[in-house]
Amino acid sequence: MSHFIRNCIYQGKNLFREGSYTFWVILYPIILATFFYAAFGGMMDPSFEDLKVGVEENSGITHVLEEIDFINIYEVSKDELVQKFENDEIDAFVDDNLNLTVNKSGINQTIIKEVVEQIKQTIKLNRPIDGSEFSVSYVLGRDQESNSLTVIFYSLIAMVSTYGVFAGVETASLIQANLSNIAIRINSTPLKKQNFLIAGVMVSLLLNLFANAALLLFINYILKIHLFNNIKYSTIIILLGNLFGVILGIFIGVSNKKSSTKTLMAIAITLLLSFFSGMMGPWIKVMIDKHVPFLSRVNPISIMSNNLYRINFLGSTKSLGEGVIILIGYCIMLLFASYLFLRRKSYDSI
Amino acid sequence: MTVYKYFIKVALKNKWIIIMYITIFFVMTLLNSTDAMKREESFVETRLNIGIIDKSMSELSSGLREYLEKENNIVDILEDEEYIKEQIFLEIADAVIIIPEDFDQKVVNKKEAILIYKDDRKPQALQIENQVNKFLAFANITYKDGRFELEDVKEALNESVEVQLLSSGDSYARTGVDSWFRFYYKFTGYVIIGVYIAIIGLVMSDFRDKNVDNRRKISSKRFLDFNKEMYLGQLTLAAAVTAVFIVASMLIMGKKLGEVYYIKYLVNLIVFSFSILCLTFLISNITRNKYAITALSTVLSLGTSFISGVMVPQELLGDKVLAIAKFFPMYYFVKINDSMIKSLLEVRYELFMQLLFAVVFLLIGLIFSKRAQKA
Repeated sequence: MSHFIRNCIYQGKNLFREGSYTFWVILYPIILATFFYAAFGGMMDPSFEDLKVGVEENSGITHVLEEIDFINIYEVSKDELVQKFENDEIDAFVDDNLNLTVNKSGINQTIIKEVVEQIKQTIKLNRPIDGSEFSVSYVLGRDQESNSLTVIFYSLIAMVSTYGVFAGVETASLIQANLSNIAIRINSTPLKKQNFLIAGVMVSLLLNLFANAALLLFINYILKIHLFNNIKYSTIIILLGNLFGVILGIFIGVSNKKSSTKTLMAIAITLLLSFFSGMMGPWIKVMIDKHVPFLSRVNPISIMSNNLYRINFLGSTKSLGEGVIILIGYCIMLLFASYLFLRRKSYDSI
Repeated sequence: MTVYKYFIKVALKNKWIIIMYITIFFVMTLLNSTDAMKREESFVETRLNIGIIDKSMSELSSGLREYLEKENNIVDILEDEEYIKEQIFLEIADAVIIIPEDFDQKVVNKKEAILIYKDDRKPQALQIENQVNKFLAFANITYKDGRFELEDVKEALNESVEVQLLSSGDSYARTGVDSWFRFYYKFTGYVIIGVYIAIIGLVMSDFRDKNVDNRRKISSKRFLDFNKEMYLGQLTLAAAVTAVFIVASMLIMGKKLGEVYYIKYLVNLIVFSFSILCLTFLISNITRNKYAITALSTVLSLGTSFISGVMVPQELLGDKVLAIAKFFPMYYFVKINDSMIKSLLEVRYELFMQLLFAVVFLLIGLIFSKRAQKA
């Protein structure tokens, strides 16, 4: 046991002294989250403002539009139209013949068009009405907040939870004699490689979890984006993501490549998987879901980010079981493959 | 040209990782720009994306469905609450409508006859509610002797108003092809930073080896010559990367190249590439640590892309964000890329700014290099 603890301490120190590790695992996610927030922050909370409709002075239509509670009316003369549009003071202008003038297309303009059309259509219908017909609501609404941009943050968290990959790469090269000097020494001592490896996995996991916690606190308290409602299941997903990351790192690490190549590989793989899961825009995820749904079911980052938003935003745990099984499956497969590569290795010359 | 030759040799030795890197980013660029064609705003009327589940299948519900289908885009939907909520959450559907079995009865009795899932904070929710209520109110008005006169409703609903569009700028003149180029080249800007710094840094890390460096110092190779050849090597590699993206865009769009002002995209990308190459030169002179180089590659590429409007349009970004973005060449690159111009002269200031950045990067790089020489 004391060997194990000593191994852990040494490996922990080793990782912490590696500047690149501190950067990738702690600083980089926070920098990235800040950039995301700068770019998308303003778009995450849609609010509906009343529509601004311009009419001519003493227009006959004013009293009809006044009845509608989501419309504000402004009297505008035709000469100042361009100016009013440019200053965003009105969304649309309606003249006495019920013709509409707009300066851009959009949902606000479409709603106004719909309202004005309704007046025309009611006249065309030509039936006796007393006005009460239009005060009935036939709709039973179910509110579901839409917030596809949070996918970006969930995807970032999912990606970062796999960043144990860097520590994994490092650990693997610490026990391969052809890759590092320390490994030569370790290989020539009676120290058991597997103990060293397990200690490495433990340390990597702990450090990465610590980094994840820092990121989550940063997002929650500094950026003030609240992403987690269900802590229990979210923790399971993030833990599994960490485990997957470290093991993927070991798997990449056992290949006989230069360490800078391996770091590039680790970055490229995690970045691509995150891209597919919607980290650079939820529309990519939506497109993948539509055309290659299989990919988003097997992409480990997608599994994590999809489950995170389902658990926390939609209160659904339906796909959680499948996700957990697939992630564990990956871990076992990669671990086994790495083990095959590492076991009983001997070197003719170093 | 020993240094140059050696540089190319090291690059070739790393060819697989370089090819992998370029391929991955190329796939991302393609996906991003293919999707772009659809993201363009439509003219005047905004069509919502709605899902409809009709359990009534009556004449009235078919009429409603027909009307909604005419006004909106229909998306496929499953009758499963969790699935429906997810579609709304991801904004795949703006609203999902469920028409119950006893629909007609409820409408006649003026009860809440229809279930709609929507996000109440958005104007789209209001729009769909208006459409449904209007149709059903009209239907009820025509209700006589136990049946709706849907033909009359349909006729009335065909009545529409005239919409005049005051043109403010020519943002509507964009074609799908132009959007494709815009998104493709914008994203290529991101890739250029990421790939340049990463792969050139990778190759440079071999030169930064202490032993190699010491040997170079005692050699008769002049400092400026060494840097010149080094820069030439980087230029070759960089040109190859940029060429891949340019040629690919030409191959993909082929004949449609004539439909856009292509020279703008081309010149802009080349100028930007040059500026980033100088940035890479600077970085490889500031730090020897290959990890720091990879870190910078990712932070600078993603960071400047986000704040300069590669991922989201510049007009949606805050003023403060854009003020910071102006300190990076990416901002000017995106600005030209998104502009609607007929001549390059209109964007000469932005082009000049990118070149200015290039010169500054290069000079600072040389200063650092000189300092390292003395140390």
